[in-house]
Amino acid sequence: MYQVSDSTALLRAHKRLLSRAPSSPRVARTVVLLGLTSLITDISAEMVATVLPLYLVYIGGFTPLAYGVIDGLYQGATSLVGLASGFIGDRFRRHKDVAATGYGLSAVSKLLLAVGGTAVSGVGAIVLLDRIGKGIRTAPRDTMISLSTPKESLGTAFGVHRALDTTGAVIGPILAFAMLAIAPLAFHSLFIVSFCIALVGVGILVLLVQPQRVKGAAAAEERPAPSLRGAFGLMRIPRYRSLVIAGAALSLATASDAFIFLTLQKKLDLGVSMFPLLFVGSSAIYMVLAVPVGRLADRIGRGRVLIGGYALLLGVYATLLLPSGGWALLFVALGLLGAYYAATDGVLMALGSAIVPDEVRGSGLALLGTATSIARLVASLLFGALWTVWGIHAAVAWFGVALVAAIALAAFLLRRTHEHQLA
Amino acid sequence: MSTSSPSRRRIVAFALLLAGCVAVAVVALVAGAKSGGSKAKATAGAANVLPAAKAKGEPMVVYTVDDGHRRGSGQVAIAPLATPNEHRTLTSLACDRVYFSAAGAGICLARRGGFAAGYEAKMFGPDLKVRHTLPLDGIPSRTRVSPDGRYAATTLFVTGDSYADAGSFSTRTTIIDLKTGRTVANLEDFVVLRGQRRITAIDVNFWGVTFARDSDRFFATVATGGKTYLIEGSVRAREAHVIQENVECPSLSPDGTRIAFKKRTDSNDTPWHLTVLDLATMRETPLTEQRSVDDQVEWLDDKNVLYGVDGAIWTARADGTGEPTRFIDHASSPAVVRY
Repeated sequence: MYQVSDSTALLRAHKRLLSRAPSSPRVARTVVLLGLTSLITDISAEMVATVLPLYLVYIGGFTPLAYGVIDGLYQGATSLVGLASGFIGDRFRRHKDVAATGYGLSAVSKLLLAVGGTAVSGVGAIVLLDRIGKGIRTAPRDTMISLSTPKESLGTAFGVHRALDTTGAVIGPILAFAMLAIAPLAFHSLFIVSFCIALVGVGILVLLVQPQRVKGAAAAEERPAPSLRGAFGLMRIPRYRSLVIAGAALSLATASDAFIFLTLQKKLDLGVSMFPLLFVGSSAIYMVLAVPVGRLADRIGRGRVLIGGYALLLGVYATLLLPSGGWALLFVALGLLGAYYAATDGVLMALGSAIVPDEVRGSGLALLGTATSIARLVASLLFGALWTVWGIHAAVAWFGVALVAAIALAAFLLRRTHEHQLA
Repeated sequence: MSTSSPSRRRIVAFALLLAGCVAVAVVALVAGAKSGGSKAKATAGAANVLPAAKAKGEPMVVYTVDDGHRRGSGQVAIAPLATPNEHRTLTSLACDRVYFSAAGAGICLARRGGFAAGYEAKMFGPDLKVRHTLPLDGIPSRTRVSPDGRYAATTLFVTGDSYADAGSFSTRTTIIDLKTGRTVANLEDFVVLRGQRRITAIDVNFWGVTFARDSDRFFATVATGGKTYLIEGSVRAREAHVIQENVECPSLSPDGTRIAFKKRTDSNDTPWHLTVLDLATMRETPLTEQRSVDDQVEWLDDKNVLYGVDGAIWTARADGTGEPTRFIDHASSPAVVRY
């Protein structure tokens, strides 16, 4: 391998010379390859997610009501799977294998959809398999990103990954619609194409990603494998505990983008066909801003950027409460929403990665991810209930008040974190 | 920082995987594009069939031909109600759902051609000429025309219109003015009362409109909180109220006294049972059809109903006696034209 790595080093030096911004931090090859894995997997996943409701109607017998309930259950169940996969990755130091299992399960689920029968219960089980795969892969993948990145450029690394990931989420629905335009109602062909794409994603991970470790990480190899108790002991680290509490509190005051889009749709009286476009619009902003915002986080402080991101979400709420509508409002809301995602999603994981020791990184990131995703699920239920009882404006206003409180709490908790860092 | 590049062998393996996946994907895509069914030709003189039947006072049935290979759009056929299998006329229309009222107005929910995927509503007259088209935001589920031919109602499945998850879906039911070809109302904007309380939940869905003779009064299903209800309302007043629980896809009998509908059962294998509700007594009569029927029933006359199940149109007695019999083979979406 000596020769190969040597030539890579040469190539890198060469690239650095050619680069216009020689001082800009670059990200590890692993991060880019994991980003590409996510990009390709997300194309495949979003293709299916886009047409699945149509497919369920097409094969018949599935009422709209049932789908929402099942989906909510799946989300809860899969976030718990993530906890286990984070811990297993730590315990056996096999983050890549665990992640590959997750990506593999999701790929297999597409094959099952393609060749499987058209029984609705079967489709439900297959969707569950896909969600479990997603639950499994997230924590070990983020762990690999963080373990192959020096601490000072974690924000940038997660920014690069999320930018690539979101690119896939934008391409997927567009590809699905294009395919259905060429081959109307050819759902099984679409599932096969989705499976092929997913397989390429798994191929990148299994064949091309070779986890690198940053300096100092090698020492972790000599330490004993973490026990379950050791993983739970994470909560005894004050900075980590503060971060989990801050993340969960902020998530509890976060209205899901589905709600935000629905509010915008009602406000501006948009057609239903606009719905995917709202998603594509905010994702495009997220995609563009993820890297620069990640860099900013590395420079001025990740806690500040995270809190700034939630201030942007507060701005989204404000646009929803404004009396007048118009297209300008739509663009402002989507822009703020995309920027909010860029400033929070990857940055939270970068914050966690900087705090959690290498040997329990998987468990730490999984717990952080699970805590925030469960908080978001609770927030969605609360928002729905507020909307039903008091109406759309009251729901947004209450969430705004809660978000101000959560931001204040997070600012306090993360400021303490900062002091610890200095001490 | 130690880095290691993937070995040559791994890169070759990946290239092979990539090539294989692209090849399979292309084959799948081509196969999918080719699977579009070929359409039989329209029978000559199809445009004159309905006007001629009207002149003779002969009741007809309009339906879509179900070729069994694919669901979705089927060619529209017209046949005399007395001999539906023997004398069918194929038209140039292809629809997922079709309905026609003896007043001379019909609606066809069809897939739009060309690159722009989607559906549209084609509004046609007795000569089968399309007068108006309206793009549809979703997948067609139900459609009906009021007896006087003034309004049509359509129910579509739409995606991403629910708070639970962006991937879940719901229904959208609108009323179209057939004279102008424009949407005049969305049932979600109606004031819907359950007892004294207005239903304001955001999880409400409406489907399956059926019109009364005056075209203003209508019945439909509203779903909220995991339950379905029968509502009776007024298009002009933009309001409706709940009159019964657990009623889906209502269909008002020609004499206006009963509602045929699909009633949700406890079973997942046979989720619905066809039932008739007497509006005067609110008594329900289950029909003898034992299969689960997912269709909006059409009344053959005041004593019998028609519905699509297992790729054919069947008929059953509305009083809950007798055995269902096959009415038209390879067909769905029946509309009885009462000339």
